[in-house]
Amino acid sequence: MVKLEFEHRQAGHCESGVTRNLLNYHHFKISEPMAFGIGAGLFFSYLPFLKMQHAPTTSFRVWPGQVFDRATKELGVKTAVHTFRNPKDSMDKLNAVLDQGYPVGLQVGTFHLPFFPPEYRMHYNMHNMIAYGHDNGTYYISDTLMENLVEINYEDLMRVRFAKGAFAPQGRMYYPTFVPKDIDIKPAIIKGIRKTANNMVGIPFPLIGAKGIRYLAGRMRKWEKNLGPEKASYYLGQVLRMEEEVGTAGAGFRFIYGAFLEEASTALNQPWLKELSIEMGETANKWREFSYLGSRNCKKRGKADQSYNFLADMLIEIAGREEKIFRKLAKIK
Amino acid sequence: MEHSTVEESDRLPDESELLYTYNREVFYHFDKEKGFTQKIEYQNPNNQVIIKQSWDAAEQRLEEVKQLVIIGKLSPIAYYMEKILMEVPMLAAYMEIPKWRVKRHMKSKIFKKLKPELLAKYAAVFEIPVGQLTNPDFLNK
Repeated sequence: MVKLEFEHRQAGHCESGVTRNLLNYHHFKISEPMAFGIGAGLFFSYLPFLKMQHAPTTSFRVWPGQVFDRATKELGVKTAVHTFRNPKDSMDKLNAVLDQGYPVGLQVGTFHLPFFPPEYRMHYNMHNMIAYGHDNGTYYISDTLMENLVEINYEDLMRVRFAKGAFAPQGRMYYPTFVPKDIDIKPAIIKGIRKTANNMVGIPFPLIGAKGIRYLAGRMRKWEKNLGPEKASYYLGQVLRMEEEVGTAGAGFRFIYGAFLEEASTALNQPWLKELSIEMGETANKWREFSYLGSRNCKKRGKADQSYNFLADMLIEIAGREEKIFRKLAKIK
Repeated sequence: MEHSTVEESDRLPDESELLYTYNREVFYHFDKEKGFTQKIEYQNPNNQVIIKQSWDAAEQRLEEVKQLVIIGKLSPIAYYMEKILMEVPMLAAYMEIPKWRVKRHMKSKIFKKLKPELLAKYAAVFEIPVGQLTNPDFLNK
């Protein structure tokens, strides 16, 4: 049996929260926005050919696992990451690592997660949580989405770690093994900002970054005509769900990113970043307004309350703002 | 057309408007005076509407598939797949067989000839007894 002294803190985004809580456990104080920003978590992509839950995939963040991997790498933290073929091996390894006194990050599917809010229990395989102890087949879990600490039994945990389908976790577990004493956070911040700026405005591909937002706006204008009102509202709802739910802390991570820029401004002593953090915050509020107005179209089945052209215009404005912000950020030194 | 301002969306949610109150989450906010702040709160009512939309859509899809199973166009596998919110690629992954086979098993004719082992495996994935898979209660046969 082992139960580590683990401080449970909720977070807006599961993976950044897990990264923060794991690093905090190893006495390196870092905030959630900082973990997210150094991990270069912000992104945008709209993939109409890749359907998720019967609608095109919209994403406001990078691939799962990247925030932890990038943040720890840039900070010089040594980590161990494992995936498994055999479920039983994965549980043995988890027990062994917990017994050595390391809390462990786990990627899991949410459909069979017993303590998860029922309204979120869909097949979503990119959730992250921390195991901080076990006792005779019961595992102690800190999940940054949940208000309180929770528990899960051996069978259920094995099952969610081996959920199948897109982004199957394959028992993925990860934890810091060595955190250096004197970490210089500055180069990590700069690299993180550069990476995100490049992702958002530097890649010449129409479906991602600020261009992707414009592309989505263009498609949105045609939804009602091409798909009919009911499907149009479902497609819109899907964009809004990815923007506002499943741990985005609101506005598709734009608030977290703004908070990161504010902290970065202080840490690097570069006041112009503070200006940009305000612009990011205002852009995040625009996203929130977009989702607020858009959600009215999803209320009554198929009845459009706001015209899709109007919503698309909002997106064009947002895309312009984000492009401006990231073009400036790309020049960071 | 009339469009509301953001202020309205910032009003405090009335708890009676909320559909889901199982757990409170962290949300970030920004305004010019206070800067960035974090609050632990329920998902706001507009966003709860969009969560509900996806559950309603799932329910509607299930009903449509059910009708197709009743008239014999699809096999019960299609119904139970919808019921646990899966799609063909995911079900194929759980069944450990190719997607085209899952699609084939959704035809009633093929379904009737399925081997017991396969039926048992499907039933296990759907978490139902085999009898319920071969003869769903809504068919009343």
